[in-house]
Amino acid sequence: MIKNAFDRFRRSPAFAGFILFLVALVLNAVLQGPASFFTVKSINTLFAKNAPFIIVTVAQSLLLIAGTMDISCGVQVALVNVVIIMAGQTLGLPFIVCCILGVGVAVLASLACWICCSVFRLPALLASYALTYIIKGINVMIMDVPQGKVDKVFYKAYDSQILGFIPVSALFIVGVLIIWLYVRHNRFGTHIYAVGANPRNAFAAGISPMKVQLKAFVLKGIFIGVAGICITLMIASGNPLQAEDYGIRSLSACILGGLGFGGWGNVACAVFGSGFYVLIQNSVYYFFSLLVKLIPGFAVTSYWQNFVSDIIIFLGLLMTIVTAKGQRQALKEGIVRQFRRSDRHYDEPTAAKKGGDGNE
Amino acid sequence: MSNPLAAQQLSASQRAKMFIQKSPARMAFIIAALIYLVTIIISPTSLNPSAIGSIIMLTLLLSFASAGQTIVLIGGGMDFGVGAVMSSAAILTTTIMNGKDGHFLQLLVTALAMGAVVGLLNGVCTVKIGLPPMIVTLAISNVVTRMQYVLTQGSPMGYASPTFIKTVTSRLFGLQFLPSIVLYAIIIIPLVYFLLNRSRFGKQVYLVGNNPTAARLNGINVARVQILTYVFSGLFAAFAGMLGAAYMNAARCQIFDEYAYNSLIAVIIGGTTLSGGIGSYTGSIAGSLVMVVLSNALTTVGLSQPVRNVFMGLIMVLLLILYNREKKVRQ
Amino acid sequence: MFELRAIEKRFDAVVALNGAHLHVEPGEIRALLGSNGSGKSTMIKVLAGLVNPNKGEILIDGEPVEIHSGQDSRRLGIATAFQDLSLVPTMSVRDNILLGNEPCNKFGIVDRKAGDDLIDALLARFHIDCDPNAYVQTLTPSTQTMLEVAKAVSLKPRLLLLDEVTAALHYDEIEVLFSVMRELKEEGVAMIYVTHRMNEVFQVCDTTTIMRSGETVTEGKMSDFTLDDIVYYMTGQRPEKGDGTAAHGHFHAEDKTPLLDVKNLSIFPRVRDLSLRAYQGEIIGIGGLQGQGQSEFIRALLGAEPFQEGTIEYDGRSVAFKSPAQAVKGGMGFISGERNREAMFPLRTIEENILAGKVAKGNLFAYMTPKSNHAFANDAVEKYSIKIGELGHPASSLSGGNQQKLVVARWIAMQPKLLLLDDPTKGVDIHSRQEIHKILRQCADEGMTVIISSSESEELLSISDRIYVFYEGCVSAMLSGDKKTPEMLVAAMMGMTGGSQTSEEGVQS
Repeated sequence: MIKNAFDRFRRSPAFAGFILFLVALVLNAVLQGPASFFTVKSINTLFAKNAPFIIVTVAQSLLLIAGTMDISCGVQVALVNVVIIMAGQTLGLPFIVCCILGVGVAVLASLACWICCSVFRLPALLASYALTYIIKGINVMIMDVPQGKVDKVFYKAYDSQILGFIPVSALFIVGVLIIWLYVRHNRFGTHIYAVGANPRNAFAAGISPMKVQLKAFVLKGIFIGVAGICITLMIASGNPLQAEDYGIRSLSACILGGLGFGGWGNVACAVFGSGFYVLIQNSVYYFFSLLVKLIPGFAVTSYWQNFVSDIIIFLGLLMTIVTAKGQRQALKEGIVRQFRRSDRHYDEPTAAKKGGDGNE
Repeated sequence: MSNPLAAQQLSASQRAKMFIQKSPARMAFIIAALIYLVTIIISPTSLNPSAIGSIIMLTLLLSFASAGQTIVLIGGGMDFGVGAVMSSAAILTTTIMNGKDGHFLQLLVTALAMGAVVGLLNGVCTVKIGLPPMIVTLAISNVVTRMQYVLTQGSPMGYASPTFIKTVTSRLFGLQFLPSIVLYAIIIIPLVYFLLNRSRFGKQVYLVGNNPTAARLNGINVARVQILTYVFSGLFAAFAGMLGAAYMNAARCQIFDEYAYNSLIAVIIGGTTLSGGIGSYTGSIAGSLVMVVLSNALTTVGLSQPVRNVFMGLIMVLLLILYNREKKVRQ
Repeated sequence: MFELRAIEKRFDAVVALNGAHLHVEPGEIRALLGSNGSGKSTMIKVLAGLVNPNKGEILIDGEPVEIHSGQDSRRLGIATAFQDLSLVPTMSVRDNILLGNEPCNKFGIVDRKAGDDLIDALLARFHIDCDPNAYVQTLTPSTQTMLEVAKAVSLKPRLLLLDEVTAALHYDEIEVLFSVMRELKEEGVAMIYVTHRMNEVFQVCDTTTIMRSGETVTEGKMSDFTLDDIVYYMTGQRPEKGDGTAAHGHFHAEDKTPLLDVKNLSIFPRVRDLSLRAYQGEIIGIGGLQGQGQSEFIRALLGAEPFQEGTIEYDGRSVAFKSPAQAVKGGMGFISGERNREAMFPLRTIEENILAGKVAKGNLFAYMTPKSNHAFANDAVEKYSIKIGELGHPASSLSGGNQQKLVVARWIAMQPKLLLLDDPTKGVDIHSRQEIHKILRQCADEGMTVIISSSESEELLSISDRIYVFYEGCVSAMLSGDKKTPEMLVAAMMGMTGGSQTSEEGVQS
């Protein structure tokens, strides 16, 4: 039973991402020292610092499943941040209202992307690149230089734990995943896969690809809004030119986690992929601080850290060859099983015919 | 389904559509001319030989960078490494030349070798891993970029040599609108034209881009052709990076990174499709012209940086809408 | 009743339908016939909501209706099983069948239990043996086709459209399909059946509508038509008896060395133990039911698929090509019947398509003069009478038959030593087919060796010197001379190697 479940998991698209994630987790724990890694404080910091990125990756995965993408996700997060801070600062709105406004703006930005990709049928990569320019411009128009602040109550709450060990920031991620889980078991949950994999066939089955993508973009807008709230609470101020690289990084995190372009993979891929991304950067940081401690006189710039973590991420992509092989094997086995079956199918009528001949 | 109607039976809109589809290059040239016209009307002083010279300069630079991108896209791939290779080549240029003449050959060999190696890596990984080329080339270009920082400690040294700078930026025959980079174009453009249109390799690239399965069964070595397209892309990007360094005189890390996207958009505006099998280098040159004229217009008109960004994005969306729409699901 | 009136459809400059009409009554199975490009599939797509006609009206029970989408089509009680399938390969069998029709509970959550019952019943009705949770892409083409039909039937339609669904089916599956169709007929479901296989039409259809170049030519009761009539209406010509390509019955001395000698070949998973010989100037036919290893065999010769055991001796040396590129270098050529997927470059010009064979061979950076390219393409077009507009037009502007002639010309012009053809006349109209046969025979007379696999017995019997019949990955018989009869062929295809001499001969040669 357990072996069966494991076998199924081994063949699922998320398996590659899971292995990468596991390796990164162990690496991080070892390099940081398990005693200091498995503390409430260190786990809390990990979640608090990376919740926005993880949520953006989940949002991106939705679009990938629906057969499109949006590399302007990053600047949209900054947009939400800017709107929340400026709405509080200039209009004097309460923080919660600002947040709702921020989510609304994120949905609007998402809709703009939907209009380009689905209504005008532009290539999503290029259209959302053009949007990056537009949104970045708007961000700076709203807020020219980093400024503003968030009430202490809110950002303290974001950095705290419930029941003493559950980070509040993790709850944001869990909230996003619960929304997705509900949607996945809706009709929309199947339709999004059909539209992503083959819009024509989905259309033939009576599904409107445009409507399904609209829903995906709205949902993604809401998730981006949540990510924007997280980042606002994290930095407790506003910055119009941050998080731009989230757009493209979330995309590679998704692919690392095992998602394909259009209808292949699930949200677990996004979680594992972004987890790998985050943990590797963490591990490399601890690796270098370990080196500094071990080798007297060893000094190194942050350039090396970035270099090493990017190389590891590239190697992670290479790793997917191995897992893809496993999946091909599974495919092959499936085909062999059917051959056995169709052999049986063949024998029956042939035998019957032979028998008939004999009777005559 | 083969009863072609006589041309006169087509409506005007259909004819316009066919005109655009027939020659996206022509269309792009017209758009560039229109944008330039608007610029001149708004700011008449911008019509001067030296401004035209700098437009030609930047257009050719972008079109050299787009050459490889065009070949890769036609072959069914995508190369995001163009920017990183250009930046690296620019850093190599300033470091090796260090402001002195006499190192050109050494530089040429080193830079092209670097471009070829990155291109080969891009090609092999894309073809063999089977992941989307965009993701793979992006990951590799990240590594290349990080390497720039590691090797130069974030601040590259040196300058391009005076003679080399002169071969790129000086004006020919004293004509202000004729930068000497044109001399390089006389080599590069026919070379690309030969590669794509007159060589067996070019024919194979088109076939592979259109239908890789059929190409393979037809006896074409698909993997080799695709890997070669990336190698060429690396080579052209490296060369463009060298010339770029001469244009900028000094280099810094990531100096030409935006060329990754700009070359892609220029190629697309020139009528090459993202799905492969269709496109031309003439189109890419026209697309480069559109990009350069557009950014020149936004600078000349004197808008602030954020407003310029918004306009740039909006016009890019408009251009894409004009002729890069995918097919409708329902016919 | 369902009726289509005066439908017109233009794709840019190409007219696909030109005032076509069609009607079908409840409880009627109507065959929609026509050669390639006659507009049958477009008619089906109009009803399915995938194609928006420029003119014409659709009537259901006398009321005009509008079909703008797949949803509209379903709502009006129309279900379609498409030729190129509408299944999503990366989704499970269950999700595919329920797609767009999922049973939901009051929270909007999909009800798995209700779905399971529905699917179990459906799979049983169609005798489909597969795991409902398996991804569709892991199923064989024939199972996928059965699912496509099952999915359409599960919608409980009033009108069922079947667009060339039997092309990929095994004969026992066809039996299942026909029995379901007869049941549905009893229930009063109207059906439109599109196919290229004439024997099926006479077996299962009541009435027929025949189309030619976008127009409805004739319609009537099946019993009023003979096969010759149908061919006449489809092509506008009476079929010739004996097309002059009949095999001459080449015989070869045992001491002559064969060009190709395959021994005990096994290719995972379909081919088990296969031996075959081909001599210079021979046309070897490969027969058998769908999926007995024919295409795997041909692809293994070409190096497109690896083989596990056995030897291939070709042109005097033992070979195991790693890629088609190597095989082409060694003087082979390959023509696939899967035109769209494996042979054509639809976006490229006709000239480039003809040149594709020449392009594949030789120095990568050699200069190819436009003039010689042009001459090469022009020669091929004239020699094989391919009907084209201009050499510069895209290849997609050609009709199916001409596309296939183009692919044949592409290779013949290269003068390969061994030409491999995998069901090359699939979906090609009778006229083009005869021309292709003529070309092949000519080439064989000039010394080319041809290996041709075909799903049609008549084609094999008329063109090949010898026929190897495949059954379950082995050669069940080798037919030549007097033994080359329809009866023997059919028996061998069923795996009944009745005449023991025949099978011995097969092993021996």
